[in-house]
Amino acid sequence: MSAAADMMEVSPAPASRNWAAAVVGLCLLLACVAPLGLNGYGLYLLTLTEIFVLVALGLNLLTGYAGQISLCHSAFFGVGAYATAILTQKAGVPYLLSLLLGALLTTAIGALAAIPALRLKNIYLAIATLGFGVVLQKIIFEWRGLTGGGGGLALTAPRIAGYELGATGLYYLTLALMSVGLFGAWNVSRGRTGRALLVIKDSEIAAGSLGIHAAQYKVIAFAISAFYASIAGGLFAYLVRYINPESFSVGLSISFLSMVVIGGLGTIGGSILGAAFYVIVPELLRGIKDAPGLVFGLLLVVVMVFMPQGLWGMLRRIWRRSAG
Amino acid sequence: MIANLVVGGLAAGCLYAMVGIAIVIVLKITDIANFAQGEMAMLTTFFAYWLMESAGLPWWQAVLIAVLFGLVQGIVVQQVVIRPLIGGPVLSAIIATLGLNIVLNSVAGLIWGHQTYTFPSPFTFLAPFMVGGVPIAVDSVVNIAAGLTIVVAMTLFLRLTWTGLGLRAASQNQTVARLMGISITRTSAIAWGLGGLVGGIAGVLVAPSLFLDTNLMSALLIKAFAGGVLGGLNSLIGVFLGCLALGVAENLASAYLSPSFADAITFIIIIVVLTIRPEGILGRVKVRKA
Repeated sequence: MSAAADMMEVSPAPASRNWAAAVVGLCLLLACVAPLGLNGYGLYLLTLTEIFVLVALGLNLLTGYAGQISLCHSAFFGVGAYATAILTQKAGVPYLLSLLLGALLTTAIGALAAIPALRLKNIYLAIATLGFGVVLQKIIFEWRGLTGGGGGLALTAPRIAGYELGATGLYYLTLALMSVGLFGAWNVSRGRTGRALLVIKDSEIAAGSLGIHAAQYKVIAFAISAFYASIAGGLFAYLVRYINPESFSVGLSISFLSMVVIGGLGTIGGSILGAAFYVIVPELLRGIKDAPGLVFGLLLVVVMVFMPQGLWGMLRRIWRRSAG
Repeated sequence: MIANLVVGGLAAGCLYAMVGIAIVIVLKITDIANFAQGEMAMLTTFFAYWLMESAGLPWWQAVLIAVLFGLVQGIVVQQVVIRPLIGGPVLSAIIATLGLNIVLNSVAGLIWGHQTYTFPSPFTFLAPFMVGGVPIAVDSVVNIAAGLTIVVAMTLFLRLTWTGLGLRAASQNQTVARLMGISITRTSAIAWGLGGLVGGIAGVLVAPSLFLDTNLMSALLIKAFAGGVLGGLNSLIGVFLGCLALGVAENLASAYLSPSFADAITFIIIIVVLTIRPEGILGRVKVRKA
């Protein structure tokens, strides 16, 4: 039954696919003109949302499709941030190139993190990846000569081809990279890899008997998802202009995981909704006296209790019902 | 020197173990890693503190009432939050407990503020035991004894009573258990109640040495998970020993290898152990037909 539902997700009717493409196009168009109508803080929040969308897209491939829990994504995010920042500030590498180099480094580390994952499941995997994240964070913290240790690293505005990238420039760069990321995740999830990951999630034995090399695909999933987190980290470093090992703690990993689950596991729309939920809802709640945490926590519980398939799953159900 | 470090590690380890046992009771039977366990225990501990300070009850009575409060709290949480999620994705339930974690933390913050309280303990001022020249604080002995008692009591409960048999059946295969007439919602409620109860005991015993504030359990929760995984989540005694081993390993690593890398080294050990024995040191491989 669930397998049948997954098949439906892989290949929806062409009409609804056109609709989805139209909605995505409209959202991107809106995102393009958004800076015209936003103040500095609004622009910051929107950029942050897009950065988190990138992380959530990668994590969703790993957790939603391949069924592997990771609690070390804040560390991948952090390694990407530090690698990009150090390459740009200290080695003088152009910003875009150092984003890519940082991401390649993190991809290799992500593949390394997959090694324990080849034998572990569920909570055991959660703890092993959590440990991996703690180790990475500790290395960043203690490698003072390179990373500035607990004092953190203050960054100057990035330059691309001689032009200084302001808040709006960084916003458009993030938007562009997020769009590429969306397209990539969409392709991966619909292609051979996405289908292989879905089978692995349901049953590794079945995957094996179909000739899917489960170990190889798990490493690929970890690597891709680390790549996404790292690009996001490199953008994040220059959004906030100050990074500190404390920013990349286990708590952030747990937030990433919640984004994916709140939005909807195994769906691309879910990654977008989840990231938006995590950035925007706490902002809306800031006005409530004393208890923004209380209301946010309650919302998390309520969303999960009434929409166990996440926000995207709920939207899709409403859509199907209204379509007949 | 080594003996002192080991004893200190055991003392820390049994704090992890108390929380770990509470987590594992729920995890074993309902498959849900309860991120709210720490905050539930924190709330129970604050309740005990309130009973002592404002209602003027003596330690024993306050703790007894608070632990019963923990039991009820666990059942209420299961009925309100977890019950609608039975049969849904496990990760959704886990994120719901995460939300609950935030809610309970804010509630405690609203009621008691964010300052630190000193939680009394009847054992603090007793002279430490001397074992072969090494002083062992009475607190630690009480904690280890309490941990062992809980492990033994839970094991007997699971093995010798009908309810326990039902819980074990539900943890092995919910569908078949249901076919045998076991109510899954009821076993789940019992598991959460027991988790709340044991968590409450843990909170009350942990609070004197860590001081009571709204973040009482946040550090312990992750360590408890890690220790449990190290020992193997399938057996309560495995969780207990795993947490003790974690405490000792942390202490030895910070003394002999590197104080700043103690956490990292401990986690490297855990990753290596898990890579060699994926179900923990004492865990049994659960055969899955999938």
